[in-house]
Amino acid sequence: MERRDFIKLTAVTGTGAALSACGNPEHQLIRFVPDDDLLPGIAEWKPSVCPLCRAGCGLTVRVMDADFQTTRKGQEGVVVIKAAKKLEGQPEHPVSRGALCVRGQAAIQTTYHPDRIRGPLKRRGARGSGDYTEISWDDAIAELVAQLDKLADRKSLAFVTRARRSRRVDLIAEFLERFGARPPIGFEVFGDDVLRRANAISFGREQLPTFDLARAHAVISFGADFLGTWNSPVAHGAAFGAMRQDRPGVRGAFVQVESRMSLTGASADEWVPVKPGTEGVLALGIAHVLVANSLGTGNASALASYAPESVEKITGVPARRIERLARDLGSRRPAVAIAGGPPLAQTNGLFHALAVNTLNTVLGSVEQPGGLFFTPIDSTLRPIAGAKELQNLRAELLLVDDANPVFGAPKGWQVREALAKIPFIASFGSFLDDTNVQTDLILPDHSFLEAWTDSLPESGSLVAVANAAGPVMRPLYNTRAMPEVLIEVAGKLKTPVSLPWKSFEEMLKASFDKLGEGAWDDVAKQGGHWGAQQSSVSSRQSSVGSRQSAVTSHQSPVGSRQSSVPSRQSPATSHDYVEPRFDGDAATYPFHFLPYASPAFDDGSVAHLPWLQELPDPLTSAMWSSWVEINPQTANKLNIRQGDVVEIASTQGSLRAPAFVSPAIAPDVVAMPVGQGHETFTRYASRRGVNPLAILAPVTEPETGALAWAATRVKVTRVGDPDGSLIMFAGEMRENPHEGRLR
Amino acid sequence: MTARWGMAVDLDRCTGCGACVTACHAENNIPTVGPEQAARGRAMHWIRVERYFEGEFPDVRVKFRPVMCQQCDAAPCEPVCPTYASHHTAEGLNAQVYNRCIGTRYCANACPYNVRFFDFFNPQWPRPLEVQLNPDVSVREVGVMEKCTFCVQRITAVQIDAKAEKRELKDGDIKTACAQACPAKALVFGDLNDPESEVSRLSREARGAKLLEDLGTLPKVTYLTKQSEA
Repeated sequence: MERRDFIKLTAVTGTGAALSACGNPEHQLIRFVPDDDLLPGIAEWKPSVCPLCRAGCGLTVRVMDADFQTTRKGQEGVVVIKAAKKLEGQPEHPVSRGALCVRGQAAIQTTYHPDRIRGPLKRRGARGSGDYTEISWDDAIAELVAQLDKLADRKSLAFVTRARRSRRVDLIAEFLERFGARPPIGFEVFGDDVLRRANAISFGREQLPTFDLARAHAVISFGADFLGTWNSPVAHGAAFGAMRQDRPGVRGAFVQVESRMSLTGASADEWVPVKPGTEGVLALGIAHVLVANSLGTGNASALASYAPESVEKITGVPARRIERLARDLGSRRPAVAIAGGPPLAQTNGLFHALAVNTLNTVLGSVEQPGGLFFTPIDSTLRPIAGAKELQNLRAELLLVDDANPVFGAPKGWQVREALAKIPFIASFGSFLDDTNVQTDLILPDHSFLEAWTDSLPESGSLVAVANAAGPVMRPLYNTRAMPEVLIEVAGKLKTPVSLPWKSFEEMLKASFDKLGEGAWDDVAKQGGHWGAQQSSVSSRQSSVGSRQSAVTSHQSPVGSRQSSVPSRQSPATSHDYVEPRFDGDAATYPFHFLPYASPAFDDGSVAHLPWLQELPDPLTSAMWSSWVEINPQTANKLNIRQGDVVEIASTQGSLRAPAFVSPAIAPDVVAMPVGQGHETFTRYASRRGVNPLAILAPVTEPETGALAWAATRVKVTRVGDPDGSLIMFAGEMRENPHEGRLR
Repeated sequence: MTARWGMAVDLDRCTGCGACVTACHAENNIPTVGPEQAARGRAMHWIRVERYFEGEFPDVRVKFRPVMCQQCDAAPCEPVCPTYASHHTAEGLNAQVYNRCIGTRYCANACPYNVRFFDFFNPQWPRPLEVQLNPDVSVREVGVMEKCTFCVQRITAVQIDAKAEKRELKDGDIKTACAQACPAKALVFGDLNDPESEVSRLSREARGAKLLEDLGTLPKVTYLTKQSEA
């Protein structure tokens, strides 16, 4: 026995003996011999990848020893494990640049959540009851294999996941293709299909844009919450800080156009409220002035109908202000325009996206320093189906990974009803959420810190980025990585589906080996491979004179299967403004209803994390709550005061929530944060607050079939005094110290 | 020379995103108290983002202000403590010795910045959330006042490493959890006794001001005001 082992053993037995004498039964737990080679108190830093949103921020994880209570062979005990302690942004990473967002910081709680599913489960009670029995992995996999073998038609297998660019989703797609099923359905509440389509039409790139804010002198954003939840918030935040204060003598100006002030709008120099669904008209009005005054280059005749006076009539923004906004933009170059969020979630969403693309062309900001870029991306990923498929979901067998359509899809899509008709549903989920509780079999995945994880960000960086990282700690529970389960199941089928890899790691390695020499070594070193960074966007010492992406191998032309850019001249490419359609007539439903991605919960998928539940919302300071934002004028008219319970009714149903009276919203708009109102989602989020998505009308943007989540109209009624459900930090916001007490 | 730790907060960079708030929870073992206690004003956030609306619709502007302990040189919280739990360190930090604290809460009453938080209960981390706890930071029990420490555990760790490696501390070697998480680099931490440090440079800027400066508390946090378009 080595000296080291001897000390380890005496330490283990010694503490065990000492503690067993104590009265506290917790301290009588046996201490198991640890699996890890540990140096107590010494921290290691390991690379990983944030899994929470599509941005794909690179992480570095602090790993240290920790006591973990567990069971071995039926024996309760404590074992010292290597445990992740803290997530930080990976300093060298082109997207996260050493920082992290509010949700990324909390991502670690998905691993240690007390209500994580700890092993395979088989349904015992009715669907939705949450009554499951624990089964072994052998039984669970045998069950799934048997169900797959039973399928008469292999096309009747459906797979719902999130619309993410990753090898993980690609593995699902590969499995389905070889199995003979339809491609996976990617479901995102706040998808960006409209913008991708617009970019395909305008620039031939069906992807989200990357903005070089750090070098811009002026930025105008149409509804995009790019500093909060949209696209790549950490990368935007870093670039925004640089745009404001990194350049001596130059402070970039920022204008936000929207009808309800987002977190991003709160940082604007000028906030311009417009009528919902007319944002693109304002963009073209600005383009019109720019071209008319030779401040920009464009086709004047195409913009002829967008003179400021006509634009004023449609948008409600005074002509003089439009003139001034245009001249401000025109005189501060480089300038860039951003489109995202509510305008693109209207029935005429594609028009707005194309209009803002036109404005960028007029400003000359496409692929120019301080403008708009497209991150070089891998075009070999297999296609995934859009949310359209979810609207008439028919299947004999459904697999669910990481998606929660029961919570996120509007009632009118009848996802719940469709699920009820599917004979067998299995999920790879880690938590019993609204969708997973409807499943018959749960094969819980590892947490992202316990498994190989990857993503291929489509934006946020000027250079190509491929993220991948191995596990930073051992699995806490009897869980298995979804990709490994899929590979195993594929091999066990009656007519086996042969996947070209034995493990997910092998798949990742094969893909990284194609990126060039040393790419796979970078994975161990820094959690991914990326090109040389452009100094101007990555550091405070900005210098112009950029090197464009060094990694060209990412754009490998081999077997490009991505849906090609439509070459036909779609009618939407013309700049004819079509009025938005709204569900609900204006007389009965006088208000526009705006559910927005909340800074804490985004689309609701992280509402189960206690840190985020208790995070004071940046604009309201509310915690653990749902609320309805109402303009003071409107509130006055309807006799609504802060905290009063109001009823919001659409043609689809109604909900009740406390009112938050806010000056930063138009009088004809009411807004609600998305994230709360889960039927079931662990002890922290079950039946907490209300889900605004539940009353959305199933209106879609016609070209892409994307949900037009900003196209529902509602009526608002006061139904009662404050019921205490609006919980604000320190009881109130500080500028209103006597609020509530005066009543 | 002994360091004098300070911070500069550039409000022109701050976007109000709240990353600093969660980062602080993760670093400093700050418990969540749940909705019932939060409704009674007992939620604990060593750093908070204050939001101020200016103007009325449609001409509304917002200012954010992240507020943490201002680490005052003439701290009102210190002289009122009967047990010297709240005291001044040689490096200028307003330290709180939890083992000395008997929970009179005089310090919280005296603090004009509202940045001290009382543990009304023993903290709860339903298993296995406690595995995440940072071993470098003590977990506070019921009856104790807690507050921002400028991540003193990080300061000490880097100082010990530097001493062992026989090197001088460089500006930027130490980052508090909030400053490290901030995407926009609105928070800058460092040594105010080093005139070359970034925090010193920023603290001297014309945009700089202290919170409630007229109270004479001599805070070591400087706020650089948000610039506006003409």
